[in-house]
Amino acid sequence: MLVCDEIKGIDVFFNARNVAIYGASASQNSVGQAIVQNFIKPQYTGKVYAVNPKYTNVLGVPCYPSLQEIPESVDLVVVAIPARLAPRVFEDIGKKGAKAAIVISGGFSETGPKGAELENEVVKLGKKYGTRIIGPNCVGVIDTSTHVDTFFLPEYRCARPKASNVANIALVSQSGAFAAAIADWTSELGLGVSKIISLGNKCDVDDDDLLCYLGDDSSTQVICYYTEGYDGNKGRSFFDTAREITPHKPVLVVKSGRGSRAKAAASSHTGSLAGLDSVADAAYKQSGVIRADNFDQMFDMAKALAMQPPAEGDRVLMITNGGGLGVMTTDALEALGLTIPNPSSDLESKLREDLPAYCAFGNPFDVVGDAGADRYDAIFREAIPSGEYDIFVVGMLLQTPSLGMEITNIIANYQKQSGKPFVVISMGGGFTTKAGEIMELMGVPTFATGEKGALAAKALARYGEIRLGDKFNKSAGAKKS
Amino acid sequence: MKIAKQIFKQALEEGRTFVLEHEAKDIMKAYGLPVPAYDTATTAEAAAEKAKKIGFPVVLKILSKDILHKSDAGGVKIDLKSEEEVKEAFSTIMDNARKYGKEKGIEVDLSRGAFISDFAEMGTEVIVGVTKDPQFGHALMFGLGGIFVEILKDVTFRLIPLTEIDAREMISEIKAAKVLEGVRGQQPRDVDALVEIIMAVSKMVSENPEINEIDCNPTFLYERGKGALVVDARILIENPNEKAASSH
Repeated sequence: MLVCDEIKGIDVFFNARNVAIYGASASQNSVGQAIVQNFIKPQYTGKVYAVNPKYTNVLGVPCYPSLQEIPESVDLVVVAIPARLAPRVFEDIGKKGAKAAIVISGGFSETGPKGAELENEVVKLGKKYGTRIIGPNCVGVIDTSTHVDTFFLPEYRCARPKASNVANIALVSQSGAFAAAIADWTSELGLGVSKIISLGNKCDVDDDDLLCYLGDDSSTQVICYYTEGYDGNKGRSFFDTAREITPHKPVLVVKSGRGSRAKAAASSHTGSLAGLDSVADAAYKQSGVIRADNFDQMFDMAKALAMQPPAEGDRVLMITNGGGLGVMTTDALEALGLTIPNPSSDLESKLREDLPAYCAFGNPFDVVGDAGADRYDAIFREAIPSGEYDIFVVGMLLQTPSLGMEITNIIANYQKQSGKPFVVISMGGGFTTKAGEIMELMGVPTFATGEKGALAAKALARYGEIRLGDKFNKSAGAKKS
Repeated sequence: MKIAKQIFKQALEEGRTFVLEHEAKDIMKAYGLPVPAYDTATTAEAAAEKAKKIGFPVVLKILSKDILHKSDAGGVKIDLKSEEEVKEAFSTIMDNARKYGKEKGIEVDLSRGAFISDFAEMGTEVIVGVTKDPQFGHALMFGLGGIFVEILKDVTFRLIPLTEIDAREMISEIKAAKVLEGVRGQQPRDVDALVEIIMAVSKMVSENPEINEIDCNPTFLYERGKGALVVDARILIENPNEKAASSH
């Protein structure tokens, strides 16, 4: 890819084997100690060194006055020292030959001209010695497979997400607080996460670099962004990079600062410029980036996109064993601009052969409350080869005694064999939630409400359109002329 | 491209970040944009003669480096149907411009005289504009004119450069898109001509990134096969000496 020539420089942030913590501390509850703690967990198999002239060891990790005394080479330095010391520290980093640094500390450009001067010096030294820099004013990175983890948040307060065997998303966040909250949240969502990156002031490594890197990262299936804005012409370069990446991998973004009030807050927060929101909207649309209004929406869409193939068209078949769920879901699907065509008379007569006459043979297709998994089976058997539908949204209400757990097998098998995207809606309490987890382990995303499921279906259609362009079979709003 | 560069150079030399109407039309024409027939004149007699050549009715507008908002300075006269009317209008707008200068306490340069243009037949009003976004750079805006843009803000954007697919998507995604398909017995509008305008503006900005803003407002869109006309065009450029040159 033309736009992505600096992937190598980014890789070390996630695959560092020799990490030094600059500003490591022996005092309890300090940032400098929390980071050391992350690297002495058994999951992290690389080496760690502490740097602080005050100590000879921190939590049993050997501590050196500067990087120069460390007997081995260092590839990543985590910097947690007061901003005013940063220039001296970056001289040390450069001379040691470390290729990457994450600056956790604040007190840089976000605080005013003095801090901006320090940040400029850091950038200059980084350029001089070839050190790539994430931050400053960030929480750094979590990699769920190498266990590089610079979040200075104790694990009992901020749980860490896990990689899933099914599919993983990566999150890039301008805000450190959001990155932490999302790390904590996704640990419970059952959503597989490959990497979380907090970018802070983006003095060097920016949205673009990570888009290139994650676009090429085989452990990441969907790339998610939280951004408040882009500095200077960085919005344009993100747009250019996204155009290269989105045909291969879905990219989602939550961009705050839609209203004019939020805009004022955004520019004072990280000193970023917020442009006319409609231009940002256009830029995302034009480059195939899917914009979500909030995190809830982003993760619902990301889960579907990570686990399912994109749709080849926008025709949805909604199957349900409860009338209310069928109506609610199809309302939501329609509002999102998807088509919900009735089965053709040919398909309907085939279905009538296998199903009781008291089913509702429409769309939503209601197999009614006494249905067993066999009725779903019959529908998939006929409806998939009919070619009348591009997406299958399956309402699976497990409160009824007749619907057995083999429904999960049936759904997963038809999904795999057909290669068509499936979305399951499973509403309810404990039993249902467990069933949903099982469904997801089998590779089909499952949602707690019809609206969430509909949004997931919409994302699969939208990404299908992004990927297939003209070949996407769009029947909604099709011109009659 | 050369014409645009020359015009921008001269504007900046005169201390302007806007181009005069005939200059804007010269640039538009060079990029293949359809504009009504136009000319300039420095005397009432010449204006009348040129109006006759263009054909009545015509519009007369003041041409001065010191006047950006021509209507505010009483510098626009429309629907002039004869040589007499043109001559009279010429001296009126010159008087108005002098008065405007006195009120503002500035010496208004009148040496360029007036701009004469064919009074275009009314069509469906659309706007094609360009803005420079601080994060994403140049973006092109499209919308229907009048209340659609003023009150309903029914506009859509794309980053420049655009593809023809982008242009067609823009035209079909505004809420009032049906208006262009022909409503209440009207013939469908000439959407292909509109696509050409959008593409030409996109090209113009790609080749001249010093452009800060463009307003093709109004642009009249006629029924299918009858084309379109950019009736009024405003082009604002960047002042290289002060990057954040104000546009107003």
